[in-house]
Amino acid sequence: MITAELQFHRPGSVAEALELLARHGDDAKILGGGMSLVPTMTLGLARPEIVISLNHITELRVIAEDAAAGTLRIGGTARHNDVIASPLVARHAPLLADAARHIGDMQVRNRGTIGGSVAHADPAADYLPALVALDASVVVRSTRGERVIPAAEFFIDVMATALAPDELIAEIRVPSQGTARGAYRRLTRVEGSFAIVNAAALVRPAGSGASVVAIGGVAGAPVAVDASTAVSAGLTGSALAAFEDAVRAACPEPFEDLNGDAVYRREMAVIHARRALLAAAGRAAAGVTV
Amino acid sequence: MKQVGRRVTGLTNTQLAAGKGTFVNDVVLPDMAFLAFLRSPYAHARIRSVDISAAMARPGVIKVLTGEDAYRDLRPIPEAWNTREIGAKGVLWYPIVKDRVRYVGEVVAAVVAEDRWTAAAALDDIEVDYEELPVVTDPIKAMEPGADLVEPAWGDNLLITRDWIAGDVDAALAGADRVVTGTVRSNRITGVSIEGRGCVAQWDAFARKLTFWESTQNPHPLRSFLAETLNMSENSIHVIQPHVGGGFGLKQPPFQEEPVVAHAAMVTGRPVKWIEERAENFMATGHSRDTRFEYTVGFNADGRVHGLRIKVIADVGAPTALLGWGQSFVTGYSLPGGYDIPDTNVQLYVVVTNKCPWNAYRGFGKDAQSFVMDRIMDHVARETGLDRTAIRYANFIRPDDFPHSQPSGAILDSGNYQGALDKLLKKIDYAGFRALQAQAAAEGRRIGLGLGQELTPEGCAMPGALMISAYDGATVRVAPSGEVTILTGVTSPGCGNETAFAQIAADVLGCKLETIRVIQGDTELCPYGLGNYSSRGTMYGGSATQLAAQDLRNKLAEVAASMLEAAPADLEAADGTFFVQGSPDRSVAFNAVVNQVYRHTFGKHAEGVEPGLESTRYFRMGNIYHQPETQGRFSNYPAWPFGSSAVVVEVDPQTGMVKVLEYTLVEDAGTVINPLLVDANLHGAITQGIGSAMYENISYDENGQLQTATLMDYTIPTAIEMPMFSIEHQETPSPFTPLGMKGAGESGLGSTLGALCGAIEDAFPELDLRITDLPLTPNRVWQSLRTAPRKDGSGFGPSPSATGAARPAVAGAVEAIR
Amino acid sequence: MQTTIKLTVNGRARTVEVDSRMILADMLRDQLRLTGTHIGCGTGNCGACTVMLDGRTVKSCCVLAADADGADVLTVEGLYTSPDDLHPIQQAFIANQGLQCGYCTPGMILSAKQLLDANPDPTEDEIRHGISGNLCRCTGYHFIVESIQDAARVLRGEASAPSASITGLPASPATDVAG
Ligand SMILES: Cc1cc2nc3c(=O)[nH]c(=O)nc-3n(C[C@H](O)[C@H](O)[C@H](O)COP(=O)(O)OP(=O)(O)OC[C@H]3O[C@@H](n4cnc5c(N)ncnc54)[C@H](O)[C@@H]3O)c2cc1C
Ligand code: FES
Ligand code: FES
Repeated sequence: MITAELQFHRPGSVAEALELLARHGDDAKILGGGMSLVPTMTLGLARPEIVISLNHITELRVIAEDAAAGTLRIGGTARHNDVIASPLVARHAPLLADAARHIGDMQVRNRGTIGGSVAHADPAADYLPALVALDASVVVRSTRGERVIPAAEFFIDVMATALAPDELIAEIRVPSQGTARGAYRRLTRVEGSFAIVNAAALVRPAGSGASVVAIGGVAGAPVAVDASTAVSAGLTGSALAAFEDAVRAACPEPFEDLNGDAVYRREMAVIHARRALLAAAGRAAAGVTV
Repeated sequence: MKQVGRRVTGLTNTQLAAGKGTFVNDVVLPDMAFLAFLRSPYAHARIRSVDISAAMARPGVIKVLTGEDAYRDLRPIPEAWNTREIGAKGVLWYPIVKDRVRYVGEVVAAVVAEDRWTAAAALDDIEVDYEELPVVTDPIKAMEPGADLVEPAWGDNLLITRDWIAGDVDAALAGADRVVTGTVRSNRITGVSIEGRGCVAQWDAFARKLTFWESTQNPHPLRSFLAETLNMSENSIHVIQPHVGGGFGLKQPPFQEEPVVAHAAMVTGRPVKWIEERAENFMATGHSRDTRFEYTVGFNADGRVHGLRIKVIADVGAPTALLGWGQSFVTGYSLPGGYDIPDTNVQLYVVVTNKCPWNAYRGFGKDAQSFVMDRIMDHVARETGLDRTAIRYANFIRPDDFPHSQPSGAILDSGNYQGALDKLLKKIDYAGFRALQAQAAAEGRRIGLGLGQELTPEGCAMPGALMISAYDGATVRVAPSGEVTILTGVTSPGCGNETAFAQIAADVLGCKLETIRVIQGDTELCPYGLGNYSSRGTMYGGSATQLAAQDLRNKLAEVAASMLEAAPADLEAADGTFFVQGSPDRSVAFNAVVNQVYRHTFGKHAEGVEPGLESTRYFRMGNIYHQPETQGRFSNYPAWPFGSSAVVVEVDPQTGMVKVLEYTLVEDAGTVINPLLVDANLHGAITQGIGSAMYENISYDENGQLQTATLMDYTIPTAIEMPMFSIEHQETPSPFTPLGMKGAGESGLGSTLGALCGAIEDAFPELDLRITDLPLTPNRVWQSLRTAPRKDGSGFGPSPSATGAARPAVAGAVEAIR
Repeated sequence: MQTTIKLTVNGRARTVEVDSRMILADMLRDQLRLTGTHIGCGTGNCGACTVMLDGRTVKSCCVLAADADGADVLTVEGLYTSPDDLHPIQQAFIANQGLQCGYCTPGMILSAKQLLDANPDPTEDEIRHGISGNLCRCTGYHFIVESIQDAARVLRGEASAPSASITGLPASPATDVAG
């Protein structure tokens, strides 16, 4: 039960929302799908005095492509299931839909938003490694203007991001995957729970940029490991082993909790990074478009 | 049509599927106030002072109750299991703590307010000055001399110890071919009914009457507990059980919250409602099963066990009036399960700690007993090199060896354990599994099969315990219009016994099933009864229904016989008709007979019978021995269902993830009244067993802080984790119930734990893999795999060919890796 | 803070004054007395509070009532008009014993509806994924999965009524629980 009194606003436009944020800043919380914020308030762990809902701003839920720039633009309140069902996402960033399909359960995916997930920045959230692997950017706006922040810089630590109190996430901007192929893998105890570790791999054809695996659940922010050498070596024994060592080295002090100690998390990071990488490479080799 | 044995759907289904049930949170009364509890944030602390002034000053707050109030106006909560009767230590537990809190979640104060928000918000206004005391969390350390104490007055942390000895264990072990030892541990868990607890109290000061709605399993005993704590007469209290959204044992009184809510209604003059939050459920409703077993077992090369010593160390949390600690007693009491091991010594240590007390949960200690016995049997199989089934066959109590006496004095009524295992092996094509396993291995998949045997004593009766006894009652009524009403003190928190009662009564009366209505859960409507626990509902309530219905049948048969000019003994009744055996056309409608009783009371046919069509009968169970002085034994469980299960799992050797692929159970709970509802119960029990073994775990840190207080942290299985279940029944009837039923509410759970461990081990035939601790988290399984020595001495961990590492890197197979 | 919202619930236009702290589940239960929506955790984990919001299932404990302004809400009570015309999914749950205590059931049925609306012929695996946001502690899901399979057959027009592998009883009588 939410015990703290609160003022509720449901602005109809981004401009109106930004005004409210500018006015209330620190005392206000943006409400996206509410799948994280409302339980946190119910448990008394967040007690915002002002809640500003983005759920009545239609312009924020749009998924569009910018053909000229070769980017996909996902509105901040696009629901997880919007992302999963979008033909544009399927064309430009299928890796993102892959990750989104694993989020929680049907109801969570029906309501939760990409902006909320990104702002909440749970280190095990499914979107996070995918966005980092895809080189996506977070477009944030305030009355002060707009900032476009690369995902790798946006996520700072456990539930800590580059977002300022008066800013909202207006859009997630994803460069089109093009001929690159991705795959997402995660480890959970029961379906519908957050991952223990997760990994998103993007394998780019030779000459069109680096291949990368981003790993979540081990550190405060996704850990990206370059896989280009391993990929160009055909992912054979020693190249793969070197990649795995790089993953290990990138996870010096993994989280420990009831679901996994540090040693286990590190090894699971390795296993899932490898599995994601092999799967992505397999897709690349097979010419699969997913 | 005979109803007993039919797969009749639950009588409450329509109402519940429409969302039209009435659960306690649906009870709304005019002018109702809301109550919230302030609970201890410390595992062990002295309360120096409680300042409620700020809370009282908050607008909307009606009343704040503290330990002062409770100690002045209320009495200690009566014990659900009488500790003195069995030589255990007890405590005086008040509804609100005054001086010393002993676990996180114990009640420190209560706020009554105009609405739920205000009540909850005002909790933060209460200032409690705590002085932290040393915390006891490790049961092993708690047993050491000089350990900090949960109850300083006790002098130690042992609630009870027992040393049950049969035969000469030392001699047996000395004479055995081999002796091995082992330690296994079952984890701390809880039941998680999807509906939490909750109650509503209404006090009528003029009628001096308290009406109390609660999501409880035991309305009549609750009435007694309330009367005692509130210092009221029992006939001033009316307990009503609305629909209950799952109980599983954990909604058995007496809790702290119940008398507080009732008292709050009395002192404020307002109806008061309290609805438990999920976090409260995790910290205060009760835990179970946290037990460590150390065993020494001797055996011969043929697999026959000679000599078994088991030390049972249970961490039951803080001592209270709840009956949950009794589960540890039952674990020890029912060892060594379904096996005939004449030389056995069970040493029980029931240790208190600064954790939430145990409360009854499905399995009630028999689960832990079945778990350790399965682990021991698998251990012996490994050591002898014999098949796991061979060890079980070699040691089962034989079907002709009943009644069978256990070291504790328990008398097992009947059983055919070999038969159940035979059926199981046939059903799963046991011999064929190795081929499947090899085929899977060829695809790079690791699958394993595990076996579990469960012995689940039911129908408990404890001396001196009001709530726990082996009898119950039912009233059967036939209305003038011919419809039948059954009223019973047995309750159904969703397990479907009401449907079984209707089936039993329909057969006895020969009336139509759909003319029967069942009323439960109301102390002013139903005959006195003890409610639901220990799978007793159908055993006792059904037997009482049978007796009461038989009275009416006899009366009706007499009248019908006169109408048909036949002898009562020659009559049969079915589907609403009485007819003469062998000549169905000589018949009279059930309603016509009823009509004679009510409307022609002084007519030709009914003049020989007593007016009225109502009978209340109590069924008293046999095979209970509470008088060791004269009976030479103490035995509190009269019926002993048995089950044999097999599980197939797939293990990912790289991650330790385990997936249950198939689950098969052969269950023997005596006569089955309704196979559909019994299967439904078994499905639920198996799922709870698998959940507790694999996904669930209550965890405390060293300060006694609960780390798993949400469903995000305490993960119960979803539909995705579960397979379809395959279930078969064997019916070895109880000699002590009229229809032969033994109780099937808990069955299905106990055999899951050991079966899963065995299945994981079986998936790695090349390893000397020993799964000893629950839950089977991926982390733990992975760790066990890595450190398990290979039998061929070539190192540790699964052989590489099975780990996937040797697979081609970018071949077509990659997509198969998940 | 009190705020007034207008929304449609089970086809009926409603204007409700709500406290801004109130979750949708509480509004439905307390203000509209639609108590078929249950609360099992309040934190989005159990799914007992599942309702449909603008045609999609959501956990109504994670939606602020004030945020449902303008929404079209369907609760379990909106699936029928009388006990005799229950939704085929409800009928299938009744006939296949897809419930025990009934606490998770309304939410489970709405999740089944969401699934079958989008996918009339789901595999067992798809059914299990479709209801994974709804925890049931009583049934082990076995009969729930069968109920949904049965309902799917009826909704596809392959069967006229739940076929159920069991000998069914008429819908009445109900057990009475006073209260
Ligand atoms: C049962 C359950 C299971 C889940 N399982 C998973 C899982 O497996 N994987 C996973 O990744 N996630 C999971 N989640 C979380 C889910 O994905 C949430 O939807 C997501 O984390 C938050 O999104 P939201 O839109 O609901 O945000 P909200 O809960 O509304 O907000 C979360 C935070 O983000 C802020 N915020 C929201 N939108 C914006 C915006 N546009 N701009 C700036 N700030 C904003 C809020 O102020 C708040 O601080 C689960 C949630 C639940 C309840
Ligand atoms: S009450 Fe909403 S998900 Fe549990
Ligand atoms: S039927 Fe009881 S929780 Fe599902």
